[in-house]
Amino acid sequence: MPSGGESMLESDNGTLGWLNFFHKGIGYFAYTMHRISGIVILLYLYLHFFVLSNLLRGGVAFNDLITSFTYGPYDIFIVMDILLSLVIFYHGANGVRLMLNEAGYGLKHHKLMFFILESGAMILMLLFLYYAWQVLLSGGGV
Amino acid sequence: MDSENYVFLVKRGDEKGNSRFDRFNVPKKKISTVLEGLVYISENLDGTLSFRHSCRMEICGSCSMQINGKPRMACSTIAESLGSNTIRVSPLPHYQVIKDLVVDIDPFFEKYRKVKPYIIRKDDKSPGVELLQTPEQFKIYEQYSMCIKCGLCLAACPISGSDDDYLGPAALAAALRFNLDSRDEGTPIRLEITGGESGTSRCHYAGECTEVCPKDVDPSRAIQLLRRTGISHELKNAFRRGKHAGKR
Amino acid sequence: MANLEALDKEAEKKRTRPIGSIQWLFQAASGAFIIFFLGVHLYVAHINGGSPIELFDTVVGNLRDPWWLAFFLIFLWVVTYHGLNGLKGIIYETGISAKARKFVSWAIFAVFVVSVIYGTILSLVVAQMAIP
Repeated sequence: MPSGGESMLESDNGTLGWLNFFHKGIGYFAYTMHRISGIVILLYLYLHFFVLSNLLRGGVAFNDLITSFTYGPYDIFIVMDILLSLVIFYHGANGVRLMLNEAGYGLKHHKLMFFILESGAMILMLLFLYYAWQVLLSGGGV
Repeated sequence: MDSENYVFLVKRGDEKGNSRFDRFNVPKKKISTVLEGLVYISENLDGTLSFRHSCRMEICGSCSMQINGKPRMACSTIAESLGSNTIRVSPLPHYQVIKDLVVDIDPFFEKYRKVKPYIIRKDDKSPGVELLQTPEQFKIYEQYSMCIKCGLCLAACPISGSDDDYLGPAALAAALRFNLDSRDEGTPIRLEITGGESGTSRCHYAGECTEVCPKDVDPSRAIQLLRRTGISHELKNAFRRGKHAGKR
Repeated sequence: MANLEALDKEAEKKRTRPIGSIQWLFQAASGAFIIFFLGVHLYVAHINGGSPIELFDTVVGNLRDPWWLAFFLIFLWVVTYHGLNGLKGIIYETGISAKARKFVSWAIFAVFVVSVIYGTILSLVVAQMAIP
């Protein structure tokens, strides 16, 4: 009599088993999220290349494109940008921890390091978002 | 819910991949550990239930299984400590099921063998001579020598779940255990094995092997320390062109 | 106890020279660089980078400065390496065969080369563009 919980646990097996961070330690959560955020950032990198390719279309076209993402009609992208910054700051902070831990440093305090670095990164991210928001408000006159 | 009984949901399966969950009511008064529950089932409710067990005291490493979503030793898992009347028992993930809760543990030992988990000496031709070691020298690797080869770490490791070639936590911890042994001289040989594409570079420090290890071996820590020695070894090799990398 | 000479001979036959830890070192070092690069990039692009509705002028103006151009080119190379190398690791760990690993390795390398060449040419061309 398989229950919903059991079938979820079954997914520990197989190629996508690593995604199942339920009922695991904080290190596993950090690991799964590091991978997912890494893939998201790589996808964004190529989207970024694509957007920047529009520079070749000249100043007016490029500025129109960027303005449409920022002040409308496609300003929904700002929400995506905020999510992206969350992913980037998370990946960076956890990356610093992994760099230290995987080189053999701070292994006894890796969970504490995770919380401290992630908290620091989230504070930095909020500061970044605040200032970037101010720039958007002052620049567009919306 | 019947508070007099534990409800054991046991995954039953065979080599062909057929599986189902059987439900057993086990009186709480009769058992303390999950293993005792399984023994009760096989003695009183269903004699065909297959599972491995031997010492019942967390030394032999036989009764590894997935209990309530986590790889654990059935003998040292107190049923009451699970905090639930329902106890879900299934075979260890990342291993091939032979029958019910019995899995094929061979791949685990094959990986273990690969890292040469024995003392390697230059003066190998004079057996019978006792190799001395101080208590301080023993303390350095003592923790990593506590492994009982239960295979829980491999079941918990996300990389082992998808990459069959990855040596896995137990084997890599064993490699470090012998590298740290003052009597051993085989470190360069082992680093050749653990530094490859199936070695330490596959570990991303999810740390789940350490979470489930019943003997506090801390394999994830061992792998990171092994990686550190691997870096200097490989850098030296890179600047020593032409010579064999494993030579001392 | 095992015979060391026999083991040495066995290892000699294979002549493998593992570089797993060095690859890890490269990934970690590129990650450390990216934290610095990305910090500067985010600051310049979103906080102190001029008006967002005239971004073109800012970008072209920056790229005309050889120091900024060098900065962005190195950033581009390092970040692409880090990202694609990470992806290679993820693909490797899905348990593909040794042959498939070789193929993936070359494919990722090809994507890296194409991306880096495209990005470099794009930067150099944009640096020559006129500001309206």
